[in-house]
Amino acid sequence: MSSITLTSSDGVDISVERTTAERSVLIKNMLEDLGDSGEAIPIPNVNEAVLKKVIEWCEHHKHDPPSASDDDDNRRKTTDIDEWDQKFMQVDQEMLFEIILAANYLDIKALLDVGCKTVANMIKGKSPEEIRKTFNIQNDFTSEEEDQIRRENEWAEDR
Amino acid sequence: MVRSLIHLPDEILHLILCYSSPQSCAAVEQTNSRFQNVTNERLLWRHHCQSHYKFWDGRHDMPQKLARPVNSTDWKALFVFKYQVDRSVSRLLDSILGSQTGRIEKCRRVINMGYDTKDTLLRYSMVDSGEDYLARRYYAHALLTCLHRSIAIPEWAKLKRGEPVSLDRALACFDLFISESGTGDLDEIRDSLDKILDRFVASHPDLYLFTPREKALAIASWLALNDLTGINPDREYHSLEHNFLGLALKDPGHNSLPLVSAAIYCFIAQGVGLNARPCGFPFHVHVIITPELGSDINGNALGGMEPGERFYLDPFRGARETAVSNLRSQLTFLGMSNVEDQIATLGEASTSGVVLRCGKNILNSIRVEPQNPTSRAASIDVVSAKYAALWSVMLLSGDSRPMDLRHQLPWLMELFATDFPSDIFLVEQYIAPLFHGLFEHEHILERLHVMRAADEIPKQIRGRTGGNANIQYRVGQVFRHRRYHYEAIITGWDSECGAGEQWMRRMGIDRLEAGRHQSFYHVLVADRSVRYVAEENIGIILPRFTELPKSLTAIAVI
Repeated sequence: MSSITLTSSDGVDISVERTTAERSVLIKNMLEDLGDSGEAIPIPNVNEAVLKKVIEWCEHHKHDPPSASDDDDNRRKTTDIDEWDQKFMQVDQEMLFEIILAANYLDIKALLDVGCKTVANMIKGKSPEEIRKTFNIQNDFTSEEEDQIRRENEWAEDR
Repeated sequence: MVRSLIHLPDEILHLILCYSSPQSCAAVEQTNSRFQNVTNERLLWRHHCQSHYKFWDGRHDMPQKLARPVNSTDWKALFVFKYQVDRSVSRLLDSILGSQTGRIEKCRRVINMGYDTKDTLLRYSMVDSGEDYLARRYYAHALLTCLHRSIAIPEWAKLKRGEPVSLDRALACFDLFISESGTGDLDEIRDSLDKILDRFVASHPDLYLFTPREKALAIASWLALNDLTGINPDREYHSLEHNFLGLALKDPGHNSLPLVSAAIYCFIAQGVGLNARPCGFPFHVHVIITPELGSDINGNALGGMEPGERFYLDPFRGARETAVSNLRSQLTFLGMSNVEDQIATLGEASTSGVVLRCGKNILNSIRVEPQNPTSRAASIDVVSAKYAALWSVMLLSGDSRPMDLRHQLPWLMELFATDFPSDIFLVEQYIAPLFHGLFEHEHILERLHVMRAADEIPKQIRGRTGGNANIQYRVGQVFRHRRYHYEAIITGWDSECGAGEQWMRRMGIDRLEAGRHQSFYHVLVADRSVRYVAEENIGIILPRFTELPKSLTAIAVI
């Protein structure tokens, strides 16, 4: 079982099984281009903590069949998240966003989807004010702007 | 650096919003100006349009919109429009359930919103929870089928006015009356015919070398080979479902009566450049191929302006030419010896003629089929099929035959009043004018007026106290008749027999143990009949919902 080494943005080498690392399309392509030189692959955008977390996810999902279709609409049909992934995503917001960014950078579609679904579920059913609170967002509208934008979105208010 | 939602790049926010409800997207937009662009992205709203709604009114021209660049359509506005229709329909449906008065007007308002209401109605016709879900399903389904009929009937009205309607559309209208067909609009059937045409063309790459005769026969044999025409020998010829073009195309066996087989044939033949039309030969619809002017059916040039000989065939039976002499002698045998009449009968049938014939075939199938109960495998709702047939006959019988109209009118009015009362505006618009100047006209208007008036009057409430305290059973309870053993639902009650003296005498009410001075119940029986039953004959049963006869649950209204 061949393994490879990844170097995180903060300079930590992490050894990982090749099949696990290949959940990342970016790493998979790099390995194909570089050949198996045995050199560590730098992952300049992801720090150790996040990279370890991402590898944990890849490890758990290494035997998943490749996603049946890349059809965006198919992927977006459901907001269900499987149980293991739900637990995995129980992290603080900062880590959650880091994982999403890392998944995007490393091109791990399934993980990116799980991350985005998790955020979508945090938004679900909330009013604008509740969303601001949840994500610590400043209201930067003037009161006229706020009025106008509320009117534009009146259609979406609860039945 | 502390990451927050606000710092995520647009492409990721877009993905998150795709997983969010449209309402959530609207909420996010209101939190901070950072989200203005991404929450108004046209791609996002096109996604919401497509993932939330499937059925769009023709005036939106969705296929066109989807084919154009995403930025050429204001998808958010379109979504908001559709969402508002969705909510209006929901509110009207709530109101229909909430009050027994004014239902006609509420139904009309739903139907007037057009095909955009379909997603909502479809959703409610499948709800399986909530305390009023049976009633909700019932009314949503009634409105949905009314919506379909309000697409079909104007097509036939067009034919009546002499406007062109293609044969496949005109026949597809029958499918819109029966929900078993699963046909929701006229284009669906056109699409499946187009697919068959594509398959035929793909399997005949050398088609351009064929003479018209060879083409005509190749189509017939290919359709027969692929089982797309005719009826399997083991099936009952008069089975009701063989009358419906959409059902024939959808069913794996593709069984269809000669009329429908001929329609399928003509579509394919016209698709490859043949002038093919059905011929209204008695008993059995044939197809006529008329060669192009200036050449004959074998592709040879003809001198002068003389049209070439027509070519007859019977796609129902396969790929053989039917000799004209043969058809003529059959007509003579039937007693039609006049040559002029024969020529007319052997001519092309008009689309309205074919539709009328299909309607009559359906009525015929309904008459014949009950004698063959085993053939009822694919059960089609006979009431809806009959209703479709009556409408087609009423609209297309032609002004020259008022007797036909008069004959069918009571049947149509009866079905309409008992099973399809939401069609009142269709009857008003399309049936009443047919009788203009005839004495029936007043009758129809009077009847519609009475229905409307009844719909506006609040129903009287009778309490169970005082003189009514002795009523033992309740509306909605299911029972088995102690003597006749049929199952029925109680729909109303009287503290004692409220029927007329004559009825009581005829029914021998006074011979009952408790006589006429016991509670009597209005009941709805599994065979859809309505009866009046004495309390002593009621044996309440407590079946589970799934154990009830399907015929009862299908008509159950809370």
